[in-house]
Amino acid sequence: MAEKKDHPSFTKSLFSGVFLDELVFPYPIMDKEEEENLNLIRETIHKFCEAYVDSAEFDRQEKFPDDVINGMKELGLFGLVIPEEYGGYGMSTTAYVKILEEVASFDGSMALIIGAHQSIGLKGLLLYGTEEQKQKYLPKLATGEMIAAFALTEPGAGSDAAGIKTRAVRDEEKGLYILNGNKLWITNGGIADFFTIFAKEEIDVPGEGKKDKISAFIVTRDMGVQSGKKEEKMGIRATSTAELIFDNVEVPIENLLGERGKGFKVAMEILNTGRVGLAGGNIGGSKFALKYVLNHVKERHQFGRPLISFEIIREKLSQIALRIFAAESMVYLTTSLIDRGDIDYSLETAMCKVYATDTLWRNANDCLQMAGGIGYSREYPYEQWVRDARINMIFEGTNEILRIFTTLSGLQERGEYLKKIGKAMNDPIKGFGLLTDYAVHYMKDRLTKEHIPDVHPILANDKSHFEEWAKNLHITAERILVKYGKDVIKKQIIQWRIAEAAIDLFGMIATISRVDQCIKLKGEEDCQKMITLCKAFCSGAWRRVRRNILMVDKNQDHHLLNISDFIAEDEGYKV
Amino acid sequence: MNIAVCIKQVPDTETKVKITEDKKWIEEGEINFILNPYDEFAVEEALKLIEANGGEVTIISLGPDRVTSAIRSALAMGATKAIHIKTDNHPLDPMTTAEALAQVLREGSYDLILLGKQAIDDDHQQIGPILSEKLGIPAANVVTKLDINGDKVLAERQIEGGFEKIECSMPAIVTAQRGLNEPRYASLKGIMAAKKIQIEEKTVTLADDNIEILEINYPPEKPAGKIVGKGADAVPELIRLLKEEAKVIS
Repeated sequence: MAEKKDHPSFTKSLFSGVFLDELVFPYPIMDKEEEENLNLIRETIHKFCEAYVDSAEFDRQEKFPDDVINGMKELGLFGLVIPEEYGGYGMSTTAYVKILEEVASFDGSMALIIGAHQSIGLKGLLLYGTEEQKQKYLPKLATGEMIAAFALTEPGAGSDAAGIKTRAVRDEEKGLYILNGNKLWITNGGIADFFTIFAKEEIDVPGEGKKDKISAFIVTRDMGVQSGKKEEKMGIRATSTAELIFDNVEVPIENLLGERGKGFKVAMEILNTGRVGLAGGNIGGSKFALKYVLNHVKERHQFGRPLISFEIIREKLSQIALRIFAAESMVYLTTSLIDRGDIDYSLETAMCKVYATDTLWRNANDCLQMAGGIGYSREYPYEQWVRDARINMIFEGTNEILRIFTTLSGLQERGEYLKKIGKAMNDPIKGFGLLTDYAVHYMKDRLTKEHIPDVHPILANDKSHFEEWAKNLHITAERILVKYGKDVIKKQIIQWRIAEAAIDLFGMIATISRVDQCIKLKGEEDCQKMITLCKAFCSGAWRRVRRNILMVDKNQDHHLLNISDFIAEDEGYKV
Repeated sequence: MNIAVCIKQVPDTETKVKITEDKKWIEEGEINFILNPYDEFAVEEALKLIEANGGEVTIISLGPDRVTSAIRSALAMGATKAIHIKTDNHPLDPMTTAEALAQVLREGSYDLILLGKQAIDDDHQQIGPILSEKLGIPAANVVTKLDINGDKVLAERQIEGGFEKIECSMPAIVTAQRGLNEPRYASLKGIMAAKKIQIEEKTVTLADDNIEILEINYPPEKPAGKIVGKGADAVPELIRLLKEEAKVIS
């Protein structure tokens, strides 16, 4: 479980001024046998995709061909994360995400079909299912006989998932729930047979009377789930995104997933884990785009020289590589935290998702820009990458919501800690002022250099930037809690900046740890490329952190909010 | 049927090869190694034969530790037994390799020995014929179609400008050419099953190589292309140049 109270969280602790070095050092290395398997699987996927996957054609047809889906089933791509005892392949999160990365480099829709199935569609069953439920469904899900989908979003409930209206009425006598409602934008919605769905039911809460609470359910197509028409979308057009209609669908009580009324937690838990798969897929997309555009900039000549000889192009290419390097470092550090099983990784997966999806968008866009007119032509793949990339910043938690989630969870952790040490105080938020001095001391004690393991001297400078700005993040977090109290919840622009700082810091420590590990294993000589990538990333990152942190206090926010008021009032731009 | 398939691990065709400073070898550090594509046809054919006739396929490969990953690739396709002849590196002389393979092949009673017509790294195309000589059994080389009828091997071979049909009796050696079949993809199930198969290790005393690499060089750089003109007007000139200068059409 991602968010269990007693599990340590790297980023939440960082907000509290505590550096949990053992979570990020040493950088994880894949088990040799698993790596060998993974290479074979990648090879197989590579051959399969080269032979059967025509991304541009699927995009034009707006359909992922059934025979290719059948081929994917035969390969075993639907059972990657399902334990072997249920007919799957029991892969680690790291291996699974690397496979998604490989698949996504061929086709975004293909990665999404597998990802929606395993990262979220059947994840709830893996996390919360009873033994009977697992026995009944996992073997069929592993072969792809059943394809899974995750259905939370509704017409009136997107980011505010708690606002869902789908209703479940429990009929004890018949041993059934009756489900009514609509679910929107469901990936695999038209092709899935297995749905993890969320609905509200009335539950007797001791001392509070009857209350509407969210419960999670396993619903299969044959229970009467109907799909609306397939959505026409900007990108990932080959995937089946559809509305689901539940019209008096009868679901046996034994298909309740997890505890009654605890469905919101089930949903959040699934998404907390699932997001990292999306992040991995996005890295695959970025790598492929970079490889492709390199051919163009080497071949294309202007002013008598190849494009790649111009600094402005080289800078773009390098920035793409940097962003890939940082995303990769963060994602595979995070997947290893998930695989450890006793870590709260909820913020890290959110940050990976934000960073990898934001950067795929920028990378695809930069590649299109480097290709110029050709990039805009539908004869080339650039415009499809841009279209395909766009959704990633919206679904599985918008990048806005995830930034807010990151900051508020970080601050909450701090609040809870202070509550613990300041037992006398009724209101932990108000108590912060009194505790500031103590907290600064506490932080100074904890986040000092000797608590960060020695890294290779070549990374010393980057490490000290990380230390300095991690401290500043913590001080800032505490300061805004003092300054705004509970109102901090409304300060979304500040939350955004703090989240950006947290992401950059996580990127810094992930790249530093990765390169440090590389040097330990291979020696400095063989890690030169990584050292350069790390140094370039860190030197940009700490400056962005500084800017974001300084702008927590000194900013133009009041103007911005004022402007938004008058343009809303004027119904547009009128000056 | 008892079939042996001899395979070689080779650099991936997509690898950008770097020659070592002494010009005697290539930098192996960053190379991605794969199962030789022609050997893949041989593995596929062997699997098809035992699917039709029953029997067992044994994968045999000679080379350093890293070749086990090529062996696993072949096992993942569906083979069930494997022998790794452990050496420090790949001999340069096909005669040396073939002698070592022959020693191991003699220990099994194989009805058929399949291998790719050549390895895509050194391109010698010699292992099949030398094995035939050493084991004293017939060999059908560069085969594009294979049928088994009783103890007879019916093979169609690609020859200059056409095809030749030949027949020989088993045991025999067949080297596979592209077109023989369409190799299957290893499924995850196959990959996981392959993981559980114990690869038998053998050591042999290698004979000395009788050939030596004097120098490896890059191919000459391709001259830059020429743009003849634009649109339909350029076609006659293009045809003239293709005829007269490039001499690729007549």
